Amino acid sequence: MSDTFDHSGMPEDERLAAEYALGVLDGAERAAAAQRMAREPVFAALVARWEAHFAPWADEIDEVRPPPHVWERIASAVPAPMPAPPRPNLWQSLTLWRGLTVATAALAAACIAALIYVGSAVRQQPLVASIDGGGHRHFVATVDPGRDRIAVAPAAFSADATRVPELWLIPPDGRPRPVGLLSADRTVTLTLPAPLAALAKDDAVLAVSLEPPGGSPTGAPTGPVIASGKLTNL
Amino acid sequence: MDLDTNRSLIAGALARIPGGDRAALQTVYRLTSAKLFGVCLRILGERADAEDVLQEVFVTVWRKAADFDATRASPMTWLIAIARNRAIDRLRAARNSRRMEPLDAADAVADAAPIADSALENTQENARLHGCLGELAAHERAALRGAFFDGNTYEELAARMAVPLGTMKSWIRRAMIKLKACLER
Repeated sequence: MSDTFDHSGMPEDERLAAEYALGVLDGAERAAAAQRMAREPVFAALVARWEAHFAPWADEIDEVRPPPHVWERIASAVPAPMPAPPRPNLWQSLTLWRGLTVATAALAAACIAALIYVGSAVRQQPLVASIDGGGHRHFVATVDPGRDRIAVAPAAFSADATRVPELWLIPPDGRPRPVGLLSADRTVTLTLPAPLAALAKDDAVLAVSLEPPGGSPTGAPTGPVIASGKLTNL
Repeated sequence: MDLDTNRSLIAGALARIPGGDRAALQTVYRLTSAKLFGVCLRILGERADAEDVLQEVFVTVWRKAADFDATRASPMTWLIAIARNRAIDRLRAARNSRRMEPLDAADAVADAAPIADSALENTQENARLHGCLGELAAHERAALRGAFFDGNTYEELAARMAVPLGTMKSWIRRAMIKLKACLER
């Protein structure tokens, strides 16, 4: 058999899924495949099937007990145990207060504000940012309440033939963290890994720079920053 | 502990995590962290990197446990995939793999035999994979090994086996077609 083997034995998507599962894709191809997994359940299922094919190989890898501080770091990174959801009780108390009729409109508003405030301690509100530059709104970003996904919709951004828009999260320390590549013509949903999710707060700024295809090769913006916007609570 | 008991303990604990049960996460950690740390260490080579990635893996498990479907996948398969994927993401961010010594096809011959000590996975699945790997040419098996165990890209594998990139892609893609035909028959 020669190297001109007919590859029609495996459809393109399945080949990509197998390549992702095996781990042979380079950074940009891998990031693109991961984005497809987040958006396309059928593609994600193909990847899962290939991961299952390869998984028994891991039996060859020796177990190594991690040092105790790893668990301590994990335990401090996941939220502390929560009390029972407070929303129903607050709704009841709100109803009660309204029932007392002494509540003025201002008092009711204060109750709602308190409800949102208390609620946010348990389940965070989505964050939004309007990413503007040069007098135009280029993108609109929404961080979900779980802080693990960010959806970025293009507004007036026009594509550049040679460069791609890359999104950066800039926390108060001023160091841009790469989030992922954006698209000029459709909404892109990116997964925020835990270290980034922890920084996605209303004191952070989102910025978009123009980078070579595949994204910045250095992990920091290399091209011009064309737009930015502060994350705000919805 | 027998394999089925272990598997159902892990699956049961995973099912309790979406409700915010930290003890369940600790149970999963106790049962699986040594294997997953071994996987991270094998790919990354450095303990400090492997510890960071293992932390990311369990934070991911905490957030994504609701995505795990015990009726469709083995819990270890799901966890190993998360560990390998996070470790490979870390390698790609560092922009090169740690293992770059030449890969010798002859070294992959041993793969034809299944591993006797299958601590967590179904031994039948293990035997099937190794049977199918045994049907591949030695150079194909060596290339797949470099990708799976060392997290190498196509380009890195081509360098390690001293062949053009196109040849390496062709070897691996052909091997995947053969493997699929064998595993799914």
